[in-house]
Amino acid sequence: MPNPDHPPSSAERSGGSDFHIEFEGRAVRARHGDTVASALIAAGVQVLSRSLKFHRPRSVFCLSGSCGSCLMRIDGQPNTRSCQVKAEPGLRCERQNAWPSADYDLLSAADAMFPLGMDHHTMFTSPRPLNRLMQKVVHQLGGLGRLPEVDAELASAASVVCQHVAVLVIGGGPAGLAAATEAATALGQTGRVLLLESQHSVGGSYLCHPELGRDRAHAALQLAQEAGVEILTGTAAFGFYREERHAAQPGAELGFVAAASDQVLYKLSADRYVYATGGAAQNLLFIDNDRPGVMSGRAVGRLLACHGIRVGEMPLVVGCDPFADELVSALRRSGQTVIHIDGTREKLTRALGGSWVEGAEVCDERGVHRTVRCDLIVIATPPAAASELLVQHGVTVELRQPGGFVGVADAQGQTNVPTVFVCGEVSGAMTAQDAADHGARVGLSAAQDRISEQARDAAARNIGQDQE
Amino acid sequence: MSEKCIVCPCEDVTLADVEQAIGLGYLDIDEVKRFTGLGTGSCQGKLCMVTTCQLLQTAQAADPQRVQRQPEAQRVPHPFTPRPPVVPVPLGVLAAGKGADRER
Repeated sequence: MPNPDHPPSSAERSGGSDFHIEFEGRAVRARHGDTVASALIAAGVQVLSRSLKFHRPRSVFCLSGSCGSCLMRIDGQPNTRSCQVKAEPGLRCERQNAWPSADYDLLSAADAMFPLGMDHHTMFTSPRPLNRLMQKVVHQLGGLGRLPEVDAELASAASVVCQHVAVLVIGGGPAGLAAATEAATALGQTGRVLLLESQHSVGGSYLCHPELGRDRAHAALQLAQEAGVEILTGTAAFGFYREERHAAQPGAELGFVAAASDQVLYKLSADRYVYATGGAAQNLLFIDNDRPGVMSGRAVGRLLACHGIRVGEMPLVVGCDPFADELVSALRRSGQTVIHIDGTREKLTRALGGSWVEGAEVCDERGVHRTVRCDLIVIATPPAAASELLVQHGVTVELRQPGGFVGVADAQGQTNVPTVFVCGEVSGAMTAQDAADHGARVGLSAAQDRISEQARDAAARNIGQDQE
Repeated sequence: MSEKCIVCPCEDVTLADVEQAIGLGYLDIDEVKRFTGLGTGSCQGKLCMVTTCQLLQTAQAADPQRVQRQPEAQRVPHPFTPRPPVVPVPLGVLAAGKGADRER
């Protein structure tokens, strides 16, 4: 029987450690720049969470805060995305939603009891006493986590910042950084450019490139800083709120972007909004596609590029776009034995293994199945546009394959909402380099649009004064 | 682990759940969301919405007669309404906004 204190290592990282974090009572090594999730993966922890209904084991999938597979209780706060929390000396983290432990969760019996899924429309609806009893049981077993230990202090410590800028760029990936740089250069001293990035460092999909990612992200950040872009990292835009009435500017398009860091709530408005929110990693449909060890290509690239962590020895990579090819080459150069399938002619049908991937079943175009041995399944298919904020802002989106619900825009990136521009992956699937080129064009046209509007307004005021 | 193909990992909604909903005649993403609960978890549909829309497109293409009987399902694919917050925000931070200056 495996010892949960020393799980079989599925990841390796060379070099030492800087400090320790506390994981369920034991010390786990971490390095500066680690998140809780990356430190735990480097330590070989396989199961980070248990799923809501079936208590299926889960580990990281996207590693960029857009999925819910790594929720843990961190320093007493439940349901925290462990991939988004910086590892700090002495930080406490534990898994939740399991009994007696996440490694051996007896509640996962629910997984076997409901082999197809839970149809709550017909389950235990009658007789009524049984229904009441079942509701009590479900309330006990279901849900995520327990209430936080301290919350009053956090609430009183948080503050609010309200600001209006010339250009607000949402997203600090290749497109957002380039757009902000161009906009700030064009505006010069005539207007502020503010960039929001939800992660702790800018770079976005640059950082998923195992070899060149960090250098490219650093270079793009430097250009943005030289151009005078104000950057807020660790600050996620979480909604666009429309404001119906505004006495000062009747008829103008009104509303604000709400954003939050750990401690500050931002209410931000702008003359021009540039959405460069990128995309969310997508999984494929195959049996046991949620098994720990099934990771997005971007997560695997990020682990290698940002944390020096190589997961597994024999990854199976699915995908055929330029990023998938680059990732396969980089993993091979790192010494891994990579099996690469394109996902269209050869499809993944099943992830094999226990609480970590041990193999996969693959089906070719003739319908012939084969089993391959692997210790990691990498889903390197294109992400889907993160267009939620665009839709809230009133921008038209359309479904594309690949790309998801992308924001519809003209060649300059301008959408049906005249003050809103889109660039990068949120406007269509593209490589990081194409996103940067697109962002530069769109950022410039957003700034020029604002400059020409101000010139028109000034001319109109002058005419008004002459008439007086 | 019992064999499952998961469409929505946050809410543990399986492909069989979505196929059941489609079989019952739900051909719109909002209907499937309400019937199965997919997209209502902590990621708010970032992982499952596009996949489900593609399943619905396939189902509609396979049975055009049924789509004709349900004119409301003929609409072009659309996302379900994305409401704020689109990323998890601690309640304590949201609470800081209470009584905040409404003027800019």
